Amino acid sequence: MESNLIIKDKQKNKLEKAFEILKTMASKPSGLIGLTIVLFHVVLALISPYIAPYDYKAISPNTMLLAPSAEHWFGTDSLGRDVFTRTILGGRTALTVTFFGSLIALLWGGLLGIFCGLVGGKIDDVVMRVVDAFLSIPWILAMLLIVSLLGTSTEVLIPALGFFYGKGIVRVARAATHDVIAKDFIVSARARGHSNMSIIWNEIIPNVRDAILVEGAMRWSWMLLGFSSLSFLGFGVSPPTPDWGLMISNARGLMSFAYWSVIAPIVGLSSLIIGINLTADAFAKALGIDRSTKAPV
Amino acid sequence: MKYILKVFSATFMSLILSFSIANASSGVFKVSHDLGFGKDTNLDAITKGRLFQVVIKTQNRLVRPDMNGVPSPSLSTDWSANSDATEWTFNLRKGIYFHDGSAFDAPDVKYSLMRAKDPDIGSPVRKSLNVVEDIEVVDQHTVKMKLSTSFADFPLLLTDYRLRMIPEGSGDTIGQTGVGTGPFMVDKFDPEGTTILKANPEYWEGAPGVAEVHVIAIPDAQARIQALLTGQIDMNRYVPFNQKKIFDSNSKFTTTVIPTGNWRGVVMRTDTAPFDNPKVRKAFRLAVDRQELVDLVMGGAATVSCDTPVMPSDQYRLQMDCPQNISKAKNLLREAGFPNGIELTVYPATLEPTWPTIAEVVQQQVAKAGIKVNIEMVPSKGYWNEVWMKKPVSMTRWNQRPADTILHEAYHSGAKWNESYFKNADFDKNLADARSELDFNKRKKAYQNAQMTLWEQSGTMIPYHVSRLVVTSSKVKNLDAVDHFSIQWHKVKVD
Repeated sequence: MESNLIIKDKQKNKLEKAFEILKTMASKPSGLIGLTIVLFHVVLALISPYIAPYDYKAISPNTMLLAPSAEHWFGTDSLGRDVFTRTILGGRTALTVTFFGSLIALLWGGLLGIFCGLVGGKIDDVVMRVVDAFLSIPWILAMLLIVSLLGTSTEVLIPALGFFYGKGIVRVARAATHDVIAKDFIVSARARGHSNMSIIWNEIIPNVRDAILVEGAMRWSWMLLGFSSLSFLGFGVSPPTPDWGLMISNARGLMSFAYWSVIAPIVGLSSLIIGINLTADAFAKALGIDRSTKAPV
Repeated sequence: MKYILKVFSATFMSLILSFSIANASSGVFKVSHDLGFGKDTNLDAITKGRLFQVVIKTQNRLVRPDMNGVPSPSLSTDWSANSDATEWTFNLRKGIYFHDGSAFDAPDVKYSLMRAKDPDIGSPVRKSLNVVEDIEVVDQHTVKMKLSTSFADFPLLLTDYRLRMIPEGSGDTIGQTGVGTGPFMVDKFDPEGTTILKANPEYWEGAPGVAEVHVIAIPDAQARIQALLTGQIDMNRYVPFNQKKIFDSNSKFTTTVIPTGNWRGVVMRTDTAPFDNPKVRKAFRLAVDRQELVDLVMGGAATVSCDTPVMPSDQYRLQMDCPQNISKAKNLLREAGFPNGIELTVYPATLEPTWPTIAEVVQQQVAKAGIKVNIEMVPSKGYWNEVWMKKPVSMTRWNQRPADTILHEAYHSGAKWNESYFKNADFDKNLADARSELDFNKRKKAYQNAQMTLWEQSGTMIPYHVSRLVVTSSKVKNLDAVDHFSIQWHKVKVD
């Protein structure tokens, strides 16, 4: 009975802390704007299939490249599809793929970085040189190679993006670990004979978690841009699934006379990236982390 | 008197000088190519990787199509056949020289054409040219071609854009040198960068209008359009019709619409399940609304085709209607053992700007018949080597050819570019009968029977023959408003 009360109390504390962070983030205008934009996009992604006025696949030669009107708020594209419908649906795949991709990047990058930081020595040297080697390869070339070989399904894109965006997190997590391993509580844990896994789980993660989470939030916005770049090049989402990158790619040649078909997806993509960046900034500040040095301030 | 002579001499010299300047080649004409053959790109016209944007400017044929597609003299001045059209005699133009300085004569003709038949080279044009059994050098400027069968349209076959004349014995180097008798000479061959051609001042039809032609590799279709807009290139012959408005209102560009026999399509490999079943292939083809494709993809600027590759203006084309028929398509799928439909993946690349759009529209159209189409974009570079004739379903595009050539080249069971791996004895027999038939009506009937076989059995969905939207910089003058292979490139000028 007593232990249950302690757990509940801990959960309450965690919730209170999360709420406190959220409140701090929203107390600054930039944080409030960022949170609002991200929330708007997440809600839109969830409800868009129910509020979309047209079938996103419906093609028709009779409605090709219609300018914005009461019937088609954002006009139509070169195949006669409603641009408003495709724009509000256009962020769903990108958000899903990059959210899970970021989680994978955080998990493998964070854990590997912490492990290398803790054990050091030859294992650390070898792993970091391999990470350096991968960092030297332009990610877009490597991604193009992967999708050329394995296809462009989400089952391929999520782990591939997660892998390429996790490389940088390894470095951040390792550096953050170096900051804490010399501290007394780690030395004490070692003296008590705790295993590396136990030290990582109980001592290091709680102390480097904030820095890694902020890094992960930033990686999310970069991954979103990267994923849209892939779609723009034709290697992200497969047609006819609406996707901002693909919509921009299809409509870019029509920009000079059918601007409406390209403006809406551009606004959608850029507003979400700005929103995530502002949120990540506010998150870092709320946690007391200076993003320019990636260290606690 | 002295004064009059001086004035007369000065006037005469000025006239000569102005005449020389007016006729000198000047300016640079910049065009692009899509690098579709990747590392295999070369200047040997009879190979798969031929860079035709170059060879059509550096090498001549014996016979070329005139502005209406009728065979007309090029390096051969005239020709005649014996009574059963099994022997054709060609008289060659005299005083013609290759870019390497050697004279063009009958042994060069024999070498160039017999080389295209060489099985070791494996030219895509070999199948069409198999009708030629031997070429006899009658004298230095006369050749006699002996055919295995009567072939009343033989000169039409020689208008093929790949049957170019090259110096005897140059086969090993032609892929890099591109030597010919054409209006331009290869100065630098850089298939992945800029290939530079220089004017041939001794060209037999007169000195070219421009001093240089630059052929620049730009794999992406939209990048080629941007290159045209920014003046990096002077001509784009592959501008999608939905982008016509960009150029129509811009005085820096000239747009020309040219009806052609060029076609785009979706190819199903007939040797691969489920497309090894003719009913599945026909079901797919019946599920397509061709007029809607013409409207959506080409803005109406194309002629519907019922899966025949024979161009609309060809005398042997089979005229028929083929409206979308979803219920019949579903029935065929059911009879083929697919009552719940089929699923397939197509692989468009942007090297042909309309392919992704064709794929998207077809995807929606055939879904009504229970055919689920997945679209996977692939890189433009190397498409013809990595995807085409490799994947079960691929996108295709062909330039126009005479009926006999295209039917042989794309569908004959022994053809190298039989992209759908189509094998049909009746079809092959109809082609053989057509070639040997001297009566025009009977010959036409045989070619049309072959096309009817394609409608019933083929693995290639050909929705339309395109009209080409050619956009040039307004600096470009004297460009013939015809397809690539009929243009007289030496007349082109750039202000």
